[in-house]
Order: sequence, then C-alpha cells, then structure tokens
Amino acid sequence: MLEYLIRRLAGTIPVLLAVTILVFLFVHLLPGDPARLVAGPDASPQDIAAVRSEMGLDKPLPMQYLRYLGETARLNLGRSIKTHQTVAELIGERFMPTLLLTVFAMLWSVTAGVAIGVLSGVKRGRWIDQTAMVLAISGVSFPGFWLGLLLIDLFSVRLGWLPTGGYGSWQHFVLPAFTLGVAVAAVMARFTRSAFVEITAEDYVRTARAKGVPERSVVWKHTLRNALIPIITLTGLQFGFLLGGAIVVETVFAWPGLGRLLVDSVAYRDYPVIQAEILLFSFEFVLINLIVDLLYGLVNPEIRLR
Amino acid sequence: MSDAVLSAPLLRSPSAEFWRRFRRKRVAVVSACVLLLLILMAIAAPWLAPYGPATPDYDNVLAGPSLLHWCGTDTFGRDIFSRILWGGRISLTVGFVSVALGGLAGVTLGLAAGFFGGLVDSLIMRVMDVLLAFPGILLAIGVIALLGPGIANVIYAIATFSVPVFARLVRGSTLALKRTLYVQAARSIGVSAPLLMLRHILPGTLPSVIVYCSLRVGTSILTAAALSFIGLGAPPPSPEWGTMLAEGRSYLGVADQIMLFPGLAIFVTVLAFNLLGDGLRDALDQRLR
Amino acid sequence: MRHLLTRILLVTFLACGSSAASFAAKDLVVGVPDNLTGLDPADLNDNLSQSAARLMFEGLYMLDEHMKLQPQLAESYEANEEATLFIFHLRKGVTFHDGTPFNAAAVKASFDRAGNPENHLKRQSLFVMIDHTDAVDDYTVKVTLKYPFGAFVNDIAHIGALIVSPKSVQEFGKEVTRHPSGTGPYAFVSWTADTLKMKKNEHYWKPGLPKLDTITYRSVPENGARIAMLQTGEAQFIYPVPPEMIKSLENSATITIFDEPSIYVRYVALNNLRKPFDDPRVRLALNYAVDKQAFIKVVLSGRADPMDSPMPPLLGFYQKQGSYPYDPVKAKALLAEAGYPNGFEITLTGGVSTLVQRGMQFIQQQLAAVGVTVKVEPLEAGVLTAKEFNVKTPEDASIVMLYGGWSSSTGDADWGMRPMLYTKAFPPVLANLAWYSNPTTDAAIEEGLNTTDPTKRAAAYGKAQAQVWHDVPWIFLAVEHNLAAYSKNLTGASMRPDQQFHLNEGADLK
Repeated sequence: MLEYLIRRLAGTIPVLLAVTILVFLFVHLLPGDPARLVAGPDASPQDIAAVRSEMGLDKPLPMQYLRYLGETARLNLGRSIKTHQTVAELIGERFMPTLLLTVFAMLWSVTAGVAIGVLSGVKRGRWIDQTAMVLAISGVSFPGFWLGLLLIDLFSVRLGWLPTGGYGSWQHFVLPAFTLGVAVAAVMARFTRSAFVEITAEDYVRTARAKGVPERSVVWKHTLRNALIPIITLTGLQFGFLLGGAIVVETVFAWPGLGRLLVDSVAYRDYPVIQAEILLFSFEFVLINLIVDLLYGLVNPEIRLR
Repeated sequence: MSDAVLSAPLLRSPSAEFWRRFRRKRVAVVSACVLLLLILMAIAAPWLAPYGPATPDYDNVLAGPSLLHWCGTDTFGRDIFSRILWGGRISLTVGFVSVALGGLAGVTLGLAAGFFGGLVDSLIMRVMDVLLAFPGILLAIGVIALLGPGIANVIYAIATFSVPVFARLVRGSTLALKRTLYVQAARSIGVSAPLLMLRHILPGTLPSVIVYCSLRVGTSILTAAALSFIGLGAPPPSPEWGTMLAEGRSYLGVADQIMLFPGLAIFVTVLAFNLLGDGLRDALDQRLR
Repeated sequence: MRHLLTRILLVTFLACGSSAASFAAKDLVVGVPDNLTGLDPADLNDNLSQSAARLMFEGLYMLDEHMKLQPQLAESYEANEEATLFIFHLRKGVTFHDGTPFNAAAVKASFDRAGNPENHLKRQSLFVMIDHTDAVDDYTVKVTLKYPFGAFVNDIAHIGALIVSPKSVQEFGKEVTRHPSGTGPYAFVSWTADTLKMKKNEHYWKPGLPKLDTITYRSVPENGARIAMLQTGEAQFIYPVPPEMIKSLENSATITIFDEPSIYVRYVALNNLRKPFDDPRVRLALNYAVDKQAFIKVVLSGRADPMDSPMPPLLGFYQKQGSYPYDPVKAKALLAEAGYPNGFEITLTGGVSTLVQRGMQFIQQQLAAVGVTVKVEPLEAGVLTAKEFNVKTPEDASIVMLYGGWSSSTGDADWGMRPMLYTKAFPPVLANLAWYSNPTTDAAIEEGLNTTDPTKRAAAYGKAQAQVWHDVPWIFLAVEHNLAAYSKNLTGASMRPDQQFHLNEGADLK
C-alpha cells in the first residue's frame, strides 16, 4: 500500500511542476513587457523598474522560474493591480465562500444523485426510472447560468423567498449550491444507475438472489458496495467540474468567492491574481484526483498491484 | 463451419447493423432530426429570420411575445427570435469547429501515443496529463486571458481542453486494437506504420470518437455560451446566445423574454446533442464489446 | 458517523448564519455597485470610494446634499479681493479617530502631503495653485496661492482636500489608504473584499450625533442582487438603481424611490485633432444623426433630460444654449459636404458597465443609419484609464471616440468646464479627452476663474458655454438622473447631484 502511495505521489509531482512552469510562463507569453503587465497600466516608471528587479527579469529564464517557485512556496504571490492588496490576502478572503459553496453543492448532489441512481436501478423500466433519467439528461444539458437566472427570477424576484445573491445567511446558500450541484447530481444519477444495472446482472448477484437472500440485502450488501468503487472515482472527477462550475455560478449569484475573482481579474487584466488563481485551482484539482486515486487503491486492492 | 455458411446471408455488415440498432432508439433519431433542423435553420438564418440581428425598433422596446415578434423584443426593440436564429450560426460554428480542431489534434496524438508506445507515449500522455490538470472551463479562461476575448479565441480555448480527452480515448482504443489478430497479421506482412495506423487502427477507434464528438459539441456550445455570459466571449451586440442571456440579466421580472428564449435555445441544442450521443453510444455498444 | 456529520453541518450553518446582522442596533447597510479602491481621500478618483471617505473624514468646508458650500472644520474664512490669499479659522475641540487633536498643523500637514507632486496622489491637481500653507497659530491657517483662484473654497470642499490625521500618515505611510483616520462622524472598523464597516464615532464634535451605530458598504455589482437586498431588508439604501428597474420598485409599500436630476452630463467625446473629427461639419452631422429623445427613452428608460448646454442646469452659471434636433437627412448632407458621402468606419471606446454598453450600442445603431460604421470597444476601468491618460503628446492619443461623461464634484462651474474644455487640460494633466482647443473658450474660462464676483463669472461662463456649443466638440447626449432606492424608515440619506451617496449627520433608522 505504501509503495502504491509513493508511486502515485511521485507521478503527481511532475504534473504539478509542469503546471507551475505553465503558469510562470503566462506573463512571458503575453505581448508586451512582463514588468509593465504586472505593475499595471497606471504604474509610474519607478514602479515598473521596482517590479522588474523584483521579478529578476534581467536574469535568465530558468533563474526567474526558480525565483518564482521560491516566492510562490513562501506564499508571496505579488500584488493585485486593481486593489493593491497582496494576492495572498485577496485569495485568503475569497477562499472560504468558495470552499463552503463547493462542499455543500457536493454533499447534496452526490447524495441525491446516488440515491436517485439506485432508485432508478432498482425500479428499472418503471416510470420512476424513466422520469429520473429524463431529468438527469436534462440536468446535464441545462446551462448552469440559465438555471441560476431562472431560479433567481422565480424565487427571488417574483416570490421574494430567497435573496438574489450575495453571501451571508443560509438562505444565501440555497440557490447557488443547488444550481452548482444540478449537473453533478445528474451525472451521478446516470452513472450510478448504469453501474447498478451492470452489477445486478452479474453472476454473483443472481446467485445471491437464487439463494434466497432478501432483496434489500442484495441491493445494499452486494450491489451497492461494489458499485461504490467506480462511484467514488467519479465523485472525485466531478469535483473538478464543480470547481469550474463555481466560476460561472459565483458570477450569477454575486458570490464573493475565488471564481468571481478570477473572472473579474481576467476582465481587468490583473495578471498577478490570474496567475495565482489558475495555480490554485489546478493544484486543488490535481490533489483531489490524487486523493480519489488513493482511496480507490485502498478500496480496490487489484489496482495496487499494477 | 457449414452453419456459418448457411446463415451468411442473414449477417448484415457492421454499418447496417449499427443503423438498425440506431433506428430503434426513437429518442436518438428524434434528436438527430431536431439537430438537422437546427443546423438548417442556422444556415438559412439570413433568409428565414424576419428581422436582422441588429435592427432596432425604438417604439417597441422590451415587448413580450406577439404575432409581430414571436419571442418578443429586447432593450433596443430587436427581434429576439431573429437574433436566436443568427446566434445559432455562431453557436453551432463554435461547437463544430472547436471539436473538429480538438478532435483532430487529440486523435492524432492518441494514435501516435498508443501505436509507438515507449518514450513517445510517455511524453505525449504526460503533456495530456498536464492539460487535464485544469478543470475544463479554467483552461479555456486561461487561454482567453492569454489571447484576449472574442469568439475566435473561444474556439481555440475550447479546442484546447478537448484535445487531452480525445487523446486518452484514442490511445486506449489503439492499445486494444494493436493486439488484435488482424493488426498483428498486417504488421507481420510488413505494412508500414502510417498505413497501419490510418487504415487498420483508426477505423477501429472511430466509433467511440464519433460518440464522444457528439457529446463534446454539446459541451462546447455550453462552454462557449458560458464564456460569453461572463463577458469573455462574444461581446455585445453579438447575437450569441450567452451574450443575450447576459443582457437579459438586467431585466429579470421586467422583461423575462430576453433571458428565457436564448436559454431555451441553448438547452434544446445541447440536449439534442447529448441524446444523440447517448443513442450513438448505445447503438455502437454491442460492437465495441 | 452519521451524528458527527449532522453536527458538523449544523455548526457550519450556524457559523454562516451568525454573520447576519443583529437588528437591535441601528445598522445601516448600503448596497453599492463596485469595490472600493481605497480610503485615502487625497488618492481617490471614483465616486464610491469618495462617498465612503466623506463619512470618515471632514474638510474645512463641505458641500451639502444640494452642493451648497457649508463650513465644517473651519468656522469662517477671509479672502483678499484678488483671490490669492485665504485665511481659515478652525473649529476647536475636534479630535481624530486615533485620538490626536485636530489643529492648524494637521491641516498644513494634510495639504502639504496631498499637494506634494512626489507623492503621486491622484488629487494633487486640487492643490497645484497653493504656493504655501502656514499654521499661524493652533486654529488659524493661512493659504497663499501662486495665482488667483476664485473657486478656492469650493476646491478645498472637494473630497480630495479632506483632512487626514498626520499620525496615521506617519504610522502607515502609503498604507494609510487601508487605515483611514479622520474626524468624521463614523470611524473605520474593517475593509475586506466587498465589505466596508464603519462604526459610530463616540467622540464626534457635534453633540448627539451621529445616530446610527454602524454603516456597512456592501459591494454588489449585480443590479438584481442589489435590489433584492433592499427588498429583503438586508440593505436600507442602494444605488444606482438601473433606470429600467425603477418601475418594478415604484409600487412598493416599504421602499422610496429617489429620482432627481444630477449634474452628470453624458456625451461622446470626439477627438477634435484627428480625422474625420477635425472637420466641424462631421461633428455637427453626428449631433443631428443621434436621436437624443430616443437615447433617453431606450438607454435610460426616460430617466434623464436632454443636454442643452455643455454644463448641466444644476451647476451655477448654467445658461441654456439650444438643441441639435434629430435630423438624419441633414446629417447625411453634412457628411457628404465634408467629403464622406458614404460615411466612414470608426471605433467607439468606453467602459464595461451595462448602461455604458447599452449606450454605446445605441450610438452604433444610430450612426449606422447615416453610413457611419461604429466598432464598439468596451474596456475595463484600469485599461480605459490607461488608454485615456497615458499619453505623452496629443498625437499619441489612441482614442478617437469616447463614450463618457463628467460631473463637477466641486459644484462649481469652473470644474464643470475647465477639465474637459480648456487647452491646458489636455491629458494627462486633466480630462480634455476631446482634445478641444479654442482661444475664445480658454479666455472665458480663465476670466471665470480669476475673480470671485458672481456677475463677472456669469458673463464669462456664458461666453464659454456659447462658444463650446457652437464648436460641437462632443455629441451632446443627456443629463442623467440620480436613481436610488431606500427603506421608508431611513431618513437623512440621499444622492448628491454629483452622484455621490450622501448621509446627513442626523441620519436615522426608525
């Protein structure tokens, strides 16, 4: 097990390094003088010179990269061009809202998705199954930002039950978390159902049934447990989708999180913030996938032998 | 042996078999028809649309649906139905072109990786891993941050994050197909590598690629609309569906038609692509196994 | 396992819920459209940050909600006839939030810092006429000017001249923008992401004031979200309310609408030094090509008045000039006369806000009808400012057509004309983004500045307005209304004509 862990970690590190290289190269790939880009459009010549020496732009590129790596590891991510706060501070402020939103969306969508998937699998062919699957494929095809607007129109503007956006009490979480989780719930439902159907057809389940094992036991002990493995893997992958989806949902609901910060920064060309955000998002994504892989390895011993 | 000969006339060719199975899935067939219709409408937009995409009518602003304007009008009195037709050209173009670009690159890389193995494989798949380290829309936003907003750059951005998925898919198929008898046979008689890849392996990977393409076009259209919605894609006064939704945001509860119909257009289009993809996958499933 | 999960969820929810305000105290929440850019009054360009600064800082004089001059930290002043010497008598018994006393030394330190060109503070141009400032004694300040400046008292009533605690500058240097310390009715508590918190200044020099316990600025760019905040009671004052949404709020039992003419003039600045706009016939043609009434109706939902002079009616010394009515036929004829019978292609630059984009699209549509093809170029604030002002010579200017506007934040005619229409106001000095230059106008503007005699000033500004109206450097569009909405139980809150949020010291929540 330990060997597997080390092997997977070792595999992840090159990817993470490659990501840092790409992010580092970002300001160098853009047209123009990197120092000017980082200092901002209304920086004085002295400011630009200061940034230039800070970034070590006179040194060779690999040296600059190492400097960048060192600074980033120390959480010195530069300063926002727009607000002049340190990027670390900006991100720190926005981290919690996004985390909470993503976690709540994840919780409800995975639970609901798997539950619906199991229900559909068990009642295969019946109207519950048909309806659920229609809803599921609609959920995957629905533009998240449209759903958000529709919900705001109905529940906030017309009915006045919930706020249209912003962050504060639990009421603020309802619509954004729901909107964010819909696509994930839909995917989980479809996947769980098909995994369920596949496994139920397996010989060992049929044997259990033939042996007279009670249906509930068949469903829970035999089918679901085995379906759990691919479901866990899928959950991890969906987390990446949630991260991306959060970017759009936060914009619709005026959520003070990392996603909206990224959109605002791209529009404002606030390069220090853009770089840090891209780095953060992809690191989170890679790490989640790593954790999922490790969990998978834990649950499924076969994988470890590879 | 004699049984096989006797039953030979009843065996259909693989493609005929596929069509037979596909035709049986009504939903998929309906989606295919709907998509065909949408494509035709988009192509015929200049003749079909009752108004231009930017024709203002200051006496009829923010009007609800009526006989004159089937989907109502927006802030400037522009006909929303016409704009949806014109916007369809943009959405479908972005969807198809980005998937074509990404697919072409991805399939090529996947074939090479799977076929040559070794260092080539490692290198290519490592790069793909790095691209996959970014959640889809984030990569697209990163590319846009580099290239600037606009619909052309949206196409490149979306193509970029399609590449690794196609590559992985094709690599997997290639690895499996490499081991089949007929490929081994072809190799042993000295068929050249490019010919092998193109004539013997590529066709084998196509079914799953086609299924994936259909699903991917749907995702691409969705992502393009999302990018336009957050202001990084087609700017106003473009009739791009996402851009129209962004404009409709200001009028929630006041003039819902601006938000309702473009969103519906996106939904129907993406749904049709997804259902088609599903149907294709089911019809091809037996063959893949 | 299940119980633990439930407990974790419960605690997280409660933690979120407890951040909602407790309504026993008098807490005012203001919903604003943007993030603040800073809280150092000498370094602010935007209305929003300035309005927040005015709650925490005070000036020697101030402009009330009608843009009328009132004494604040000074009790009175004297000036000589040439308008080159001003003596201010300061109020006694005032302290800064950090406990240090307010006195003449503090005023001198504040003025010197803001006016020092080496500090690169954005409001430095307000002090450029000051030769030196003397603290004659603890409560008397003498300011000597380099040249006559009749509008000086209005000038220092501008937000840029609010008095900053010298101790805070010593302590924080450049970071003083995040550690504001003034003499105002409210003291700084915190500023994070989109929330600014202020609390009652217990030692405020006006007895019995202020009445509110806390003020919170919540930045909510989403128009719909801001309105919902007001409707749910989360906020008690929101601005701006987009004109198209006023209708939906009019019938509310708990909400009052604020709809007053402002001093914000909306126009399209044409680069007078660049083809084709160097030809006055082209500029005139464009004014006939745009239907101003339709502009007001479609873009501003009727909440504006047509512009009939370079200055808005509420500004002192305004004189109505006339109008350029909608006449596309005439426009085409003028264009043909000027050598553009088939029109031309041009780029219109502006900001990214919804209203601005809508306005630009409207201009694009109108001009298309007379053969002028407009490409719209929306730019984010930082990028736009750079393009506007990072110019070394007029020939370098990259903007040919700018969707813009202006409001005179000093409430005086001078600031309503000189920054945009004076030859010496070419960027980057000031905001003459039309690159307009006419010696007659220059002379009139100088005349208005060199005296404090109202009759002379009226005559001078009359001349200036007439000349500018005749020269058509802009497409004159409209004078916007200020639109805001607030809870019926809030008193003392309003919008100043210069579109700044204004709170009386006696503001109260019943």
